[in-house]
Amino acid sequence: MPHSEQSLLQAPLGFGLGLRIPHYETILQTRPAVDWFEVLSENYMVPGGKPLYYLDRIRALYPIVMHGVSLSIGSSDPLNRDYLKQLKALAQRIEPRWISDHLCWTGVENVNLHDLMPLPYTEEALRHVVARVGEVQDILGRRLLLENVSSYIGYTQSEMSEWVFLREVAQQADCLILLDINNIYVSGFNHGFDPAEYIDAIPVNRVQQFHLAGHRNQGDYIIDTHDEPIIDPVWALYAHALRRFGPVSTMIERDDNIPALDELLAELDQARHVARQAHAQPAVA
Amino acid sequence: MSKLGALQQAFQAYVLHADDAMRQEVASTPQASAEIRLDIYASAYRLRLIEALQTEYTALHAALGDEAFEQLCMAYLDAHPSSYRNLRWFGGDLSVFLRTTPPYADTPILAELAAFEWAMGLAFDAADAPSLSLSEIAAVPGAAWPAMSFQAHPAVHRLDLHSNAPLLWKAVDAEDDPPPATHATHPIAWVVWRQDLRIFFRSMAVDEAWAFDALRRGATFADICAGLCEWISELQVAQHAAGLLKGWVESGMLWRVYSEAGHDASRH
Repeated sequence: MPHSEQSLLQAPLGFGLGLRIPHYETILQTRPAVDWFEVLSENYMVPGGKPLYYLDRIRALYPIVMHGVSLSIGSSDPLNRDYLKQLKALAQRIEPRWISDHLCWTGVENVNLHDLMPLPYTEEALRHVVARVGEVQDILGRRLLLENVSSYIGYTQSEMSEWVFLREVAQQADCLILLDINNIYVSGFNHGFDPAEYIDAIPVNRVQQFHLAGHRNQGDYIIDTHDEPIIDPVWALYAHALRRFGPVSTMIERDDNIPALDELLAELDQARHVARQAHAQPAVA
Repeated sequence: MSKLGALQQAFQAYVLHADDAMRQEVASTPQASAEIRLDIYASAYRLRLIEALQTEYTALHAALGDEAFEQLCMAYLDAHPSSYRNLRWFGGDLSVFLRTTPPYADTPILAELAAFEWAMGLAFDAADAPSLSLSEIAAVPGAAWPAMSFQAHPAVHRLDLHSNAPLLWKAVDAEDDPPPATHATHPIAWVVWRQDLRIFFRSMAVDEAWAFDALRRGATFADICAGLCEWISELQVAQHAAGLLKGWVESGMLWRVYSEAGHDASRH
């Protein structure tokens, strides 16, 4: 049964969207039927002004979760304590339901590439990440969610599959997983693995959230652009994941080519529809 | 160094400088070679950081045009790889870069335009603080006025510009034709601030700029009046200074008033 060990997980929040600047006013004025919003933590790690003004108002109306891009949990640089302090201060201000970041590194030698760089799937990297997740969770005083990233390269030195690496990080570090369904599809295409095999290897009791998004297919590879609607194979993979994991808080990421809120609300309704259908079908053996 | 650390250094060196060592670490497939795969990261890095600068420097972008702006971004990126966790701060050294790097240094308005746009960005998300009200100043007893001092609002920024960069910004913002660049021998004082979440800017006459800078350094009302005597007659100086003060308060440029050293007389 899905969620047989539900004690690690919070109850699903339903269907959410990423909070984006062009939608601030519409959200406050129309209070759309979005169950929750995910905010990019770094966008609100500023002293004050409009970003925090709107966040304070929107969080009074909707549950919020924080999603970061700069934790750099896999970097060989030391953990950035100042960043963690700011992250914790933001969490104390907005009381998110949970805090997530990515299973990746973003730079070394004090440089930030502002990208989600994939890790080699080695025992060494696993030990490194597990130790650091423990430190971060101690500082934040809560379990962290780590998200699988889209990747375009495979390291020759990798010793295990991405899904085994993700599973081992979550279980050994006792953290949770933000499973990005689109990223599994993108990386599956780029590296030639079966996305369903990936999903089926992820522990049910660790998945707190799903991401859905669109991407750009360049022919030989796919780039994870978050600037297009979600494609049908990703919806099908989402249905597959729902049948394995049961109801999981789901949100749609749109970071570029951002349409009017109505268009994203319609896409969110499609996610609700896919979820209803998936839950009505028996789990695939 | 750990194997992980060496790998990450090599990958970063590829992204920053196309250093070849990384190629052997990456698997090629029939669909895409290691080089094509690595280049996805290298080009995304540049595009992302250029986009961040475009967001912060819309008028500079418009003034230079796409191609020259992109060239500038690449040069800046090589000189200043980001060390910030938040991309928001990446462009903070652009004005200094423009002022000190040829050929940009030969066109001083570029550095000033960047400084002006960056100041507006700083005002945009500066710390929140209540603005001082006229009633709070009026509540300070007359006898305490000479010793009264102030703290400016955290969103206030002062610039001294030789060029007409703010007018250029204004034209770009309004999608009008930009005015020709000018360069004055003596700089003009400008102030950028935020009131009710909106960003404002205006020029200041030389006496007002001096008085405002003195206020920000912690000068008392008496000090400010004494300094203003360089431009205003002694008989009128207190009234003139009070007028300036009223204007700053009404614009939301001030945060706190101290009725004597260290005593915060603000009511908020």
